[in-house]
Amino acid sequence: MDKLYASLTRSLEGTVRTPDQFTDDQLQNYGRIFKWTPRFVVYPQSQKDIVALVAFCRSNTLHLTNRGSAHSQSQLAINQDGVLLEMLSMNRIGEVDEKNLTVDVEPGVVWRELTHHLAKRNLVPPVLTNNLGVTVGGTLSMAGIGVASFKYGSQGDNVVELDVVTGEGSVVTCSPEKNADLFWGAIAGLGSFGVITRARLQLRRMKPMTRTYYLLYDDLRVFLEDARSAMDSGTWDHLESWGAPCAQGTRPVAGKRQVFAKWFYPFHLTVEYDAGSPPDDAALLAGFRPYDNLYTDDCPTIDFLERMVPVFELWKKAGTWEFMHPWIECILPWETAADCIEQVLADTPPGIQFGGHVLLWPAKGTTSRSKNFMVPEGDNLVGFGLLPAVPQKFWGEMSERLENVSRMMLMFGAKRYLSGWVNFTPDEWKAHFGARWDELCALKRRYDPDAILNPGFLPFEAKP
Amino acid sequence: MTLAFGTAAWADALVAEINTSSEYRNAAAKWGDGFNGNVLLVFDADSSFPKTNALLVELAKGACGGASFVEGVAHPRAGFGLRAPFSVWKDVLGGKTLAATAILTGKMKVEGDTMTLLKHTAAHRALVACAAALDTEFPAG
Repeated sequence: MDKLYASLTRSLEGTVRTPDQFTDDQLQNYGRIFKWTPRFVVYPQSQKDIVALVAFCRSNTLHLTNRGSAHSQSQLAINQDGVLLEMLSMNRIGEVDEKNLTVDVEPGVVWRELTHHLAKRNLVPPVLTNNLGVTVGGTLSMAGIGVASFKYGSQGDNVVELDVVTGEGSVVTCSPEKNADLFWGAIAGLGSFGVITRARLQLRRMKPMTRTYYLLYDDLRVFLEDARSAMDSGTWDHLESWGAPCAQGTRPVAGKRQVFAKWFYPFHLTVEYDAGSPPDDAALLAGFRPYDNLYTDDCPTIDFLERMVPVFELWKKAGTWEFMHPWIECILPWETAADCIEQVLADTPPGIQFGGHVLLWPAKGTTSRSKNFMVPEGDNLVGFGLLPAVPQKFWGEMSERLENVSRMMLMFGAKRYLSGWVNFTPDEWKAHFGARWDELCALKRRYDPDAILNPGFLPFEAKP
Repeated sequence: MTLAFGTAAWADALVAEINTSSEYRNAAAKWGDGFNGNVLLVFDADSSFPKTNALLVELAKGACGGASFVEGVAHPRAGFGLRAPFSVWKDVLGGKTLAATAILTGKMKVEGDTMTLLKHTAAHRALVACAAALDTEFPAG
């Protein structure tokens, strides 16, 4: 038995597991690119456990990594030789404050549980990610973006207050007004400065029904112009789009024939409405220039929020959920977006649709206050990403191409979204954060002086 | 037929290869349309090759009007330049390194408007593929 096991177990209310009890999933995250083995896995029961664990890790020189659903793909939510903190065990939902439209939750609450809990009162978090199977603590640490982000920013922008256990073991309540440096350090901070133990989330009232118009575009630039109009109209509650390939046979690429595609752009525009008061279709769609208007879907808003479930179920049934997921996501400046997307998609085989996705979202540069969620300058932005599922045997040939996609995005002025596969050099990290990098280093020294929290991704200097 | 790198015969063979490549014709259909698409490929001397070579390739709208080895590392008729040590070129032409990787990591320097070059990545890749397709005898290094 590990010599630290007894003392660790004594110091916690929660459960401690040793390597003989780990599941394979605890050695990796959704990316399945890295496989790390921690010394202990801990299921905390309370904030008190987190405080005790931080003290334990500091005194025993152990690294501490927290994870929610581990949907990240780089060196996040995995730990080598230290303690992996399974936050899913802290999953209590507190009272809903219907007057102030807030709810207090623990970080291990899964957004799906919270969404269903709130829907009974016709309340909803302003922004939800497409995958509702991820945790509050996880996405707040990343930023958390979804099909309403063009309107409400990131999930991190809709947090009223946090409790954070810092890397030196202090419990700090913080908000945009109080201890703001730690608050904005924690939001999209990749768990670098503390462990979130409570979040007070802003809510909004939702209407019970949604109507979604399924438009299809065959011209990227026309789509982008219509997407900008849709964002600016103030009419729509959710905007979702992506790239859809139509295979065209093979053509030579660098002398070798490969399948290529003509790309189309589905654009789904959604409004919420009260039953009995459906929207005026003709008025809503006036001015749009799609290649086709395929379908108009009415469904309860809660079903709309769960619309991706069948897709994820298919990926799981097909086995691609177990593939590697080196997702390359970015936020592009409006001015260069079309050129970049066209170049990347010209080289993207249609097979990416097998267990994967080509993300393409219109976004606003003015809706997020987050200091760590880096986006290019400009009022209008475009979220773009290749989200492949890669069989392990193809990793050798795919990794270089995907890294080139990332580099090309950066040359077009993009900022990477950090939940995906990011293989930056230290200089590229500094370029990513710009002037914020020095502030992050100062926050690290102040709130995690022993550098025990979540090592391996952001290139903070290791403690000597 | 094996051709020695750096010779007029090699340059002529490259022209023929480009002009019979459907990949190049399609990928580069807009390259050089409204701007000077001539590219100077500079092979810098290094331990594997003692003499710097520069090849001016005249390109416009998916076709090649000629190619010749020229003196110096700049040329008044070139609109763009791709410059790297010979060993890097050898890896690219030999298929060990993607041309895109060499450019995007800075191992191969771009001269000219980078954004224009970025908007025509398939054209440069097809150009490199044509050069790589030649049966070339490189100097021993």
